[in-house]
Amino acid sequence: MIEALGYVLAFFVFPGILFASAVGLLFAGIDRKLTGHMQHRIGPPIWQEFLDVGKLFGKEDITPAAANSFVFNCAPLLCFGAVTAVMLLLPINSSQPVLTSVADLIVIIYLLNIPAVCMMLAGYASGCPFGTTGSSRYVVQLFGYELAFITAALSVAAKVGWSLSLSSIVSYQAQNGWMVSQVALIPAAIAILIAAQGKLLRVPFDIPEAESEIVHGSLTEYSGPKLAILRIAYNIELFVVAAVVVNLFFGGPVPHTIGGVYIPGVVSFLIKCFGIVVLSTVIRNIAARLRIDQALKFFWTFPTLLAAISLFLVVVT
Amino acid sequence: MTFIVPIGPQHPALEEPAHFRIEVKGEEIVGVDLRLGYNHKGIEQALSDRSYAHGLYLSARVCGICNSTHSLAFTRAVESVAGIECPDRARYIRVIDAELERIHSHLLWAGIAAHEIGFTTLFMLFWRDRELSLDMRELLFGHRIYASGTYLGGARVDIKEKDIPQLIRTLAKLEKSVKHYIDVCTSDRTIIARCSGVGVLKKKDALELCAVGPTARASGVDFDIRRDDPYAAYDEISFDVIVERDGDVLAKVVVRLREILESIGIIRQAIDAMPKGAIRTKFPENVPENEAVGRTEAPRGELMYYVRSNGTNKPERVRIRTPSYANWPSAKPMLVGGTIAEIPIVVASIDPCYSCTDRVTIVDAETGKFRIMTKEELRRLRR
Repeated sequence: MIEALGYVLAFFVFPGILFASAVGLLFAGIDRKLTGHMQHRIGPPIWQEFLDVGKLFGKEDITPAAANSFVFNCAPLLCFGAVTAVMLLLPINSSQPVLTSVADLIVIIYLLNIPAVCMMLAGYASGCPFGTTGSSRYVVQLFGYELAFITAALSVAAKVGWSLSLSSIVSYQAQNGWMVSQVALIPAAIAILIAAQGKLLRVPFDIPEAESEIVHGSLTEYSGPKLAILRIAYNIELFVVAAVVVNLFFGGPVPHTIGGVYIPGVVSFLIKCFGIVVLSTVIRNIAARLRIDQALKFFWTFPTLLAAISLFLVVVT
Repeated sequence: MTFIVPIGPQHPALEEPAHFRIEVKGEEIVGVDLRLGYNHKGIEQALSDRSYAHGLYLSARVCGICNSTHSLAFTRAVESVAGIECPDRARYIRVIDAELERIHSHLLWAGIAAHEIGFTTLFMLFWRDRELSLDMRELLFGHRIYASGTYLGGARVDIKEKDIPQLIRTLAKLEKSVKHYIDVCTSDRTIIARCSGVGVLKKKDALELCAVGPTARASGVDFDIRRDDPYAAYDEISFDVIVERDGDVLAKVVVRLREILESIGIIRQAIDAMPKGAIRTKFPENVPENEAVGRTEAPRGELMYYVRSNGTNKPERVRIRTPSYANWPSAKPMLVGGTIAEIPIVVASIDPCYSCTDRVTIVDAETGKFRIMTKEELRRLRR
């Protein structure tokens, strides 16, 4: 009974919905502020994303008749549930996540794809040409970045003796240093950062929601609370993807003691995630959007090749 | 099997309403049909209902961006109808006005182009520097957008001696940043991927379809009204006509950015060569019966005004041929053969200005015949 209550608490408070949304929205706010400064604007205040989402919750929900279907209405919740569930599988405070399983890396990769699948289905169900185009572009992009992402993650798994458990990857790094400090895994780290950019639909890979071409892609017809839930889900995804990258390559949550001050694991973890988000923000502000065919070609050559090189080097040595 | 993708009249990639019927085969574009007329303002008729002095203000309001060159073209036509010459100082003031407008228009366009390819940072930077040129227009002519320093028979305002140092400082700042932008646009990998080899307009097509301005010059057509039919003080100023050979979107970007550098050079020369003296001669109240054409090089290309006078203080007929109107046909060869994702940037690359382009023709759908609507019919429609 107490154990079950613990899981419920974990899902709703820490590291679940409350913690993840707070951090996700904060990261998104910082991302917007930083973008503003990079573009010589003042930018919105850091808490703007909270205000925006709060405002959306208070808005009327308008669903077009053509879009009013089970899939369209359920997609936001499914998307939100999936990304929050990933939080339970991630080592956040120590190397032990809330839920442990032997092969949680596979589960995480699956769960991280559910938001993408939800958005595709929502776009196709929205009965709007922009949504349909956005979804079809999303399908193509998914096939692009996913190969690089999985290959890069696999090369890390191969390094720790084909263990697909994130907690063993984190403990390995606590003893042997960050994965990214190993020469064989540097290409994979670069590959996963590029793939994460594609996964998060950020420039140069924001093709499925290119606003000057197809308005907001799959989410064009959403409004009000549903859009708010999707927005939170996206912001949590931003945090979660950064967290997965940190766990795989940048040591994960490791407590430090610097100058006699004890820094708990979760703080160092959040700082590292923040670093990844800032890097992603910088990339998104110094590039133009590619075309979908160019993006697919790019994903299948450069990042996939880098990840494959890493995998090869790790397996051979 | 082809199908039609409608773009517009309302679409995020279009700043103003226009309707494209794009015939696609999968992702590839095989045909384009363009429908305009959502923004018709009836300016030509309104011009012949007004006196010349009032018409000058109306002509500046044909287009929000290129108002100076519109009033300059109108003035050029009206002055040759009336047979008067404007003073030397006014000719230089007109050059400075027109070139400041070119700088602001080209930077505005570059920002929009960056936005179309999803490069928001570059968009913001272009528009930040556009502010400099707008500030200069406000400083010299008293208005950021509707500067139009031209007046019938001269210039509307004089350029004050005390403003010139600030103008020169701003020009230096602009020159530095535009040089940097040229470097960025010709070296950034993502910009090249989106712009190079996209929306190519061959020189042959550009000549056949009568493209004008930067659209034609990017395809290797060496044509510029400022040099070929000089007006204001352009015959006393040396400058290069920027021509690129490739004809793709990247060439159009480079042509416009390099033209900004030329404009900066022109303004500097004009400031140095500007004589002292009067800025206006008297314009007669009634203009004798005559007709004339006034051409200027607007930021988007050749702008033409035809004016026919009838001895009163109002023109009998005014006809405007705006550069966007001349450039629309060239959108077809640029789009056909490309993909849907290229539509926004290719359409933007001719720098279309919809409101000054729109014309209305009444076509009988059953017989396909054109006809002219009477004033009474229009009045009835308006009710």
